[in-house]
Amino acid sequence: MAKKFLLVDDSPISRKMLKSCIPVEGVAEFLEAGDGLKGLNVFKEASPDITFLDLTMPVMDGVQALEEMKKHDPDAVIIVATADIQAKSIEKVMALGAFHVLKKPPTKDSVREILQKVDEYRRR
Amino acid sequence: MEQQVCHVTEDEKDILQEIMNIAFGKAAADLAEVINIFVVLNVPRIQVLKGAELSGYLREEISDFSDLSIIEQNFRGKFRGSAFLVFPSGAGKELVAMLDADHEETFESGTIDLLEKESLMEVGNILIGACVGKMSELLGDVVTYSPPKVVVENHPNEIIPNNLFNPEYTAIVMKTLFQFDDRNISGFLFLVTTHDSVAWLQQSLARFLEQYE
Amino acid sequence: MSELSQLFDTVNIGLVILDRDLKVKYWNRWMEYHSGIAAERIIGASLFAHFPSLNTRKFLRNCKSVLTFGNFSFFSQKLHHYLFPFRSDSSFESRFEFMQQSCALGPLRDESNTITALYLTVQDVTELASYEHRLLEMNMRDGLTGVYNRRFLEKRLAEEFDRHVRYARNFSVIMFDIDFFKKVNDTHGHQCGDFILKGVSGKIAAMIRKTDFLARYGGEEFCCLLPETDIAAATVLAERFRQTIAGMVHCYQKTEIIVTISLGVSGLSGQFPSSDVLLKRADDALYAAKGSGRNRVVALS
Repeated sequence: MAKKFLLVDDSPISRKMLKSCIPVEGVAEFLEAGDGLKGLNVFKEASPDITFLDLTMPVMDGVQALEEMKKHDPDAVIIVATADIQAKSIEKVMALGAFHVLKKPPTKDSVREILQKVDEYRRR
Repeated sequence: MEQQVCHVTEDEKDILQEIMNIAFGKAAADLAEVINIFVVLNVPRIQVLKGAELSGYLREEISDFSDLSIIEQNFRGKFRGSAFLVFPSGAGKELVAMLDADHEETFESGTIDLLEKESLMEVGNILIGACVGKMSELLGDVVTYSPPKVVVENHPNEIIPNNLFNPEYTAIVMKTLFQFDDRNISGFLFLVTTHDSVAWLQQSLARFLEQYE
Repeated sequence: MSELSQLFDTVNIGLVILDRDLKVKYWNRWMEYHSGIAAERIIGASLFAHFPSLNTRKFLRNCKSVLTFGNFSFFSQKLHHYLFPFRSDSSFESRFEFMQQSCALGPLRDESNTITALYLTVQDVTELASYEHRLLEMNMRDGLTGVYNRRFLEKRLAEEFDRHVRYARNFSVIMFDIDFFKKVNDTHGHQCGDFILKGVSGKIAAMIRKTDFLARYGGEEFCCLLPETDIAAATVLAERFRQTIAGMVHCYQKTEIIVTISLGVSGLSGQFPSSDVLLKRADDALYAAKGSGRNRVVALS
């Protein structure tokens, strides 16, 4: 089954780094957006399987985008990818419905681990 | 002759910004967990300037402060330069309270000023050490530091030394706004790399990115 | 013994290595000598077991910062005076009970750059600190009379004023000057004038409490700050000053000279917006004392 990933981050390098860490089995589709609002629009149109969302972005920040995305689709799997790894900040986005927090910089291992959790969750 | 002006590409700026972002995130997390200092470090901005433009740039950036204190600390390694921490005046008092510095000697005339100044320097030292330390760690370097100095004390923004860097040389300026969570203090952190570390920095950025090719 | 370990044991500085649990790993000879604790006895023990006074939030915070970030930490003599309570080596200087120290902390790493320990350096800066102390002292004193100078007075006045307003305490000021001082100078010469200035200020300095401040305000004008004193008590004291000086005979090169002083007193009673106004009030009182015939005390509340 083809998987659709949405990567929302204002830094192209950061999107590139993340993309290189996502294991691709079979066919995968990657969608990208450079700010929260664009990300939200793509999210609504394309209904990605998994969304990676940065927090600090222009136009609309990640926290707001996360809220809007969860409003649109409460079951969506949204992974917050951030450098802000203070316990408090992590608690905040988890309370808003994030599936998980991916600490930047991403590694192949840390991304695989999270994708496995997504699979387990979906199988249930 | 050594090349005097380095060209820094947009991609390099982007990756540097990302690395700073990651480094500052780690710094803030460790500061909170290990040292109980809760600080928010905002997304850094990168500027590539010539040494001659530096003091004008810094003056412009801090023109919103009417009164300020600046703490300077140099770091030396392959990653090399100066860090400037800009606090609004009055921050000293808040920091004394934040650090819970003991007041046993407030009796002596002038000790309160000294306590404030020392608290500024201690917080400056820890904040700069955390940010620069995490950055050099990501870039694969180990740096040493000069003692922190209060270079401007409760002054309007007049005195920024003009001769910080060779006017012809490239300086990369990384600026970030920080706030202490539970205190009403915010300020700026500037990291200015010297010319001779720019080439090394570019190599390290490339090496960092290689992991993601 | 390796050259390095000889160096560490002979250098005139204290060197300590602490592991991540702040247990002592190394203690050089300088530390042994000044602490009286042999390396064998302290190595392996927690630093705080031998020096509980170091177990402060600030020291711990800085150790953690060094171990976490690899930065350096500095404990200057100015605020902390010392980390380790060692007796001062230099016996000629009794100003400080303990050796004044400038200390630094820094990280030590293994081959993979992981921070495994921290070092502590201790420098004896007692002599430097006492020079600085002396310089500061000179900076607050009037060169001729040895009482405080005007700059110190103004700073102190502002500080005391704030403190007494904040806690609603009594606070008074006496301004006085020597009557017909110009005539003394003209008749007996400036050196005689200087002699009188020293005599008068010395006498009054001996009459005030330790917590009071006497300063030379200008030429022959002096000012006395009296914390915790109301204007009535200050007026009584001013009258004692007046009588004492009037009864004093100054012998300068076989000439006997008697001078008198005029004094103005003012005290804090709530309505003073600033220390300047309080001082101005005392000055006005002094002016009134002069105008009404000199050698007298006038108080203005």
